[in-house]
Amino acid sequence: MTTLTLNQAINAGLRKAMEDDPKVVLLGEDIGTLGGVFRVTDGLMKDFGSHRVIDTPLAESAIIGTAVGLAYRGFRPVCEIQFDGFIYPGFDQIVSQVAKLHMRTHGQVRMPLTIRVPFGGGIGSPEHHSESPEAYFVHTSGLRVISVSNPQDAYTMLRQAIASDDPVLFFEPKRRYHAKGEVDLDLDLSRAPAMGAARVVSAGTDVTLVTYGPLVATALDAAKAAADEGVSIEVIDLRSLSPIDYGPLEESVRRTGRLVVTHEASETLGLGAEIVAAVTERCFNYLESAPVRVTGFDIPYPPSKLEKHHLPDLDRMLDGVDRALGRPNSLSGLEG
Amino acid sequence: MLEATASPGTSPQPGLHQLIAADGSAVTDELLAPFVADVDDEQLRGLLGEMVVIRRIDFEATALQRQGQLALWPPMLGQEAAQIGSVHALEKDDFIFPTYRENGVAYCRGAKLAGIMSTWRGSANTGWDPYEFNMATPQIIIGAQTLHATGYAMGLAMEGKESLAIAYLGDGATSQGDVHESMVFAASFQAPVVFFCQNNHWAISEPVGLQAHAPIAGRAPGYGIPSLRIDGNDVLAVLAATRWAATRARSGGGPSFIEAVTYRMGAHTTADDPTRYRGVTELEEWAAKDPIARLRAFLQVRGQLDAGQEAAIEAKADAVAAELRAGCIGMPDPAPMSIFDNVYTAAHAILDRQRDHYERYLAGFAGTAEVNTLPAGARP
Amino acid sequence: MIVDFKLPDLGEGLTESEIVSWQVSVGDTVKLNQVIGEVETAKAVVELPSPYAGTVTAIAHAPGTVVEVGEVIISFDVAGDAPVGDVPPVNAEPKRVPTLVGYGADPESTRRPARRGRTFEAPALSSSPVVVHTAQVQGDRPRSTPPVRKLARDRGVDLADVFGTGERGLITREDVVGFAGGRAPGAGTAAPAPASSMHAVDNSAREVRTPIKGVRKLTAAAMVQSAFTAPHVTEFLTVDVTAGMELLARLRASREFADVKLTPLTLAAKAVCIGIARQPALNSRWDGPNNEIVTMNYVNLGIAAATPRGLIVPNIKNAQTLGLHGLAAALGALAGTARAGKTPPADLAGGTFSITNIGVFGIDAGTPILNPGEAGILALGAVRNTPWEHQGGIALRQVMTLSLSFDHRLVDGEQGSRFLADVGAVMADPAMALALG
Repeated sequence: MTTLTLNQAINAGLRKAMEDDPKVVLLGEDIGTLGGVFRVTDGLMKDFGSHRVIDTPLAESAIIGTAVGLAYRGFRPVCEIQFDGFIYPGFDQIVSQVAKLHMRTHGQVRMPLTIRVPFGGGIGSPEHHSESPEAYFVHTSGLRVISVSNPQDAYTMLRQAIASDDPVLFFEPKRRYHAKGEVDLDLDLSRAPAMGAARVVSAGTDVTLVTYGPLVATALDAAKAAADEGVSIEVIDLRSLSPIDYGPLEESVRRTGRLVVTHEASETLGLGAEIVAAVTERCFNYLESAPVRVTGFDIPYPPSKLEKHHLPDLDRMLDGVDRALGRPNSLSGLEG
Repeated sequence: MLEATASPGTSPQPGLHQLIAADGSAVTDELLAPFVADVDDEQLRGLLGEMVVIRRIDFEATALQRQGQLALWPPMLGQEAAQIGSVHALEKDDFIFPTYRENGVAYCRGAKLAGIMSTWRGSANTGWDPYEFNMATPQIIIGAQTLHATGYAMGLAMEGKESLAIAYLGDGATSQGDVHESMVFAASFQAPVVFFCQNNHWAISEPVGLQAHAPIAGRAPGYGIPSLRIDGNDVLAVLAATRWAATRARSGGGPSFIEAVTYRMGAHTTADDPTRYRGVTELEEWAAKDPIARLRAFLQVRGQLDAGQEAAIEAKADAVAAELRAGCIGMPDPAPMSIFDNVYTAAHAILDRQRDHYERYLAGFAGTAEVNTLPAGARP
Repeated sequence: MIVDFKLPDLGEGLTESEIVSWQVSVGDTVKLNQVIGEVETAKAVVELPSPYAGTVTAIAHAPGTVVEVGEVIISFDVAGDAPVGDVPPVNAEPKRVPTLVGYGADPESTRRPARRGRTFEAPALSSSPVVVHTAQVQGDRPRSTPPVRKLARDRGVDLADVFGTGERGLITREDVVGFAGGRAPGAGTAAPAPASSMHAVDNSAREVRTPIKGVRKLTAAAMVQSAFTAPHVTEFLTVDVTAGMELLARLRASREFADVKLTPLTLAAKAVCIGIARQPALNSRWDGPNNEIVTMNYVNLGIAAATPRGLIVPNIKNAQTLGLHGLAAALGALAGTARAGKTPPADLAGGTFSITNIGVFGIDAGTPILNPGEAGILALGAVRNTPWEHQGGIALRQVMTLSLSFDHRLVDGEQGSRFLADVGAVMADPAMALALG
């Protein structure tokens, strides 16, 4: 076991993937000589060469579009979109081409792309650097979408994403880049949890709290604080957003009867909406109270001095938990 | 090895490169002539025959649409030389990234007629296996394919291959950001890619003057990519120019841009009415520059096209048309459950659940009379 | 080959049109879409474009003829080996109009919308109730719906105690409603026991506070729900039950009844079943959500019983099938289980009529509150030696008052009265059971 930060774990995952398969090439802005604005690709160009770690011109659509061409040729491109807010120029290539080419060609052409996206807020930055665009891609059939929350998952799930023959969007919580964790660098991918599997990261009996990416750490903190009040929260890390692994969620809600979903992305049509709908459909007769969503507001991301009001924190999560438990909460007495 | 370099641009060639004028007479062109010095009359007759065949395909497909057998068809009428001339410059290992209008290129490359029709009939999103003859599927997002071609070419360079990728695009596409990004990448990485732009003068109802205030061929040199402006209705010039670009690509010379000046004699697609936005005079002017007529005249003047050879060409065209019609009308509808196929390479739990649910739903109708499909004219 | 062109449906509900003119003759070569003739509909003259290219071989009807839709009007010799296939008649309406990018949208239909017929496989029969308990053993919470959960919460019912009669063990509203309610205190054949939720009385305090929970909470909620939902009417009938008591005494001595205990309650249970058969309204329930009155063809007879946890009303399922011996056995078992505090949830659900025996306390009559969801409840008073009219004179007879409360939404005065009269008649003269049954 090695102690690594999240960005070091991603670096290690990229290195291992490139060692294992000569067809893996990295494309992105500033990933080569600089090693990435978050040092995620540090040292890789030196070791693998500039033909495999490619500093691209400043053009997101072209990063994705040329990766499509490389995939046609049999390469396994790993694209980096420098920041979440810059993915939109590449949106058309992702949604119209990457997502659809396999079906369009009746399975004859594969798009084994991995698109890495540092995402989420809480880093005190200006506009467009703290977005949570995952819902657009979860809604796009043909893509797989995953979001890691810890260094071990970052290491193994990135390698699984690169090895997958489907296109995978890999959302990295940038505010957790410096969080440390134990990583088993020798873990065989076939023995690691499946890329599509959700995981109960903290067992509990009273409420099921579901989240992913940057808020998993916050949810775990919330569970600890709640325990001091005698409330037992079961925290589930989704890990995979498309598809969502409902098995553990259903099993948990059948026991607790109460569901809280939390994410940084805006409330309307965020992943919480999908999870609440699906769990209600599947577990209606086990629900003790209406599911609760604790999310960002339906606003463009605010200036950094205000982001703490927009991002769900421990207190807002526990307020949601109170609501699910029927305990006094900020919305007590309000109908609907 | 793929390395970004700054390459000096080449200024656009003055005038329009031609080898056969509109009236069928030969034209001297020092740049192009060497690339087709090997082309003999038999090969020219072959090019003529193929242009006639793809024009016939176009005619037949248009008729089929009028008869409700196709959802739509994008005519290539008038652009036969641009398609046939360019595809014949390519080797098997070169990879083609077409628009949705290169059905002549697809036919020449070996795509089955029924396959080509299936896309336009609405039976499939694609009509062929891209890897069977190295041609990507028709691209509907304007310009997107230029990035794919550039990326493919980058891959070829990384592998040290002598093959190239060719991106077909229209005049309208040269306004799209992706096209410009692809030229930036192609130049920076010296990718072996040919940008083959058919300036057919119209993007649905918008004239080329709206897309470009200067000749389109003049754009690429701004990126450091040499370009040629050619008469796209002259199949020999098209062949020569594409060979010029291919030679550059194969020898490590990087990307090239060809503007083939031609004309969209037909509508944008079969339900378009061009009389609403362009005049008859323009059509007459371009009819006089017809690619098939000029090559026919060129051969006839040299005594290289007799009645028997003409008849053989017509017979071939008839046969292709009949095969196309039969293949289209006889095409079975795709199976309902196939909508779930090939979305992913591996199992996806949510989709699989939807598939199971829909299968159950459909099973509920098995064996019951379908009220909603009474034949037209019948009364319930 | 020869193909026929049939008169197409020109829309608007037309079944026929008149041929106005032909623009072609036999032997003419016709191109696709060429106008070949005109027909007249009720509204206008319509041109017919040819759906085929070929030679006209036959014209079936002359101008001026009225032709039905679907009849052949003209035939062509069409070139080509393959049949043209399903080329639709060019001017059949309604049809899709192609757009720049495709076939076009479906036109509006002139037909009335209708669903396609379907068949479903018969659903598998609901699994046995045991499954519910197994699931609960695995840690899943009881299955119900949110509104029913709220109902249970409001009534203080713990769903873990309720037996679900819905699909795959789902706990329904009826299950919760039918779950142990409580009314006026009384006991079956068991001696009343203090509720376990009561704390020891501290005589030195001015008042004692007892938490509201458990069975008492349940019972209270049930009573309130019942009392303020169903309009209660109570009727009284005092009867001379001497003959009934004599029968019981005779039967007690017989070998057949040696293994059971016979009491006035036993006879009353039988009398109630007979009465229900003649007045089924007393065995119904009010299904407000579905706007229906449900009359049960079975009697699950509830008997109020005191238990260590409080008052409960377990019921005897299908009491109408039991004779006196069967009823006596059931009553005995019921009482024993209740005393031991082991009444299973299944016994507490699904009751249709209840009896409460206040006579054991020496009480004559009362105004019992209905077990929620039921239409009637009978209270049995004490059997007393009372001076009574007998064969024209006054004699000491064994007299009992029957108090019947019923839900006036479900039972009208006549029905309630006749029922009470029947019950009294059987108690007074058990031979009446033969006459009434």
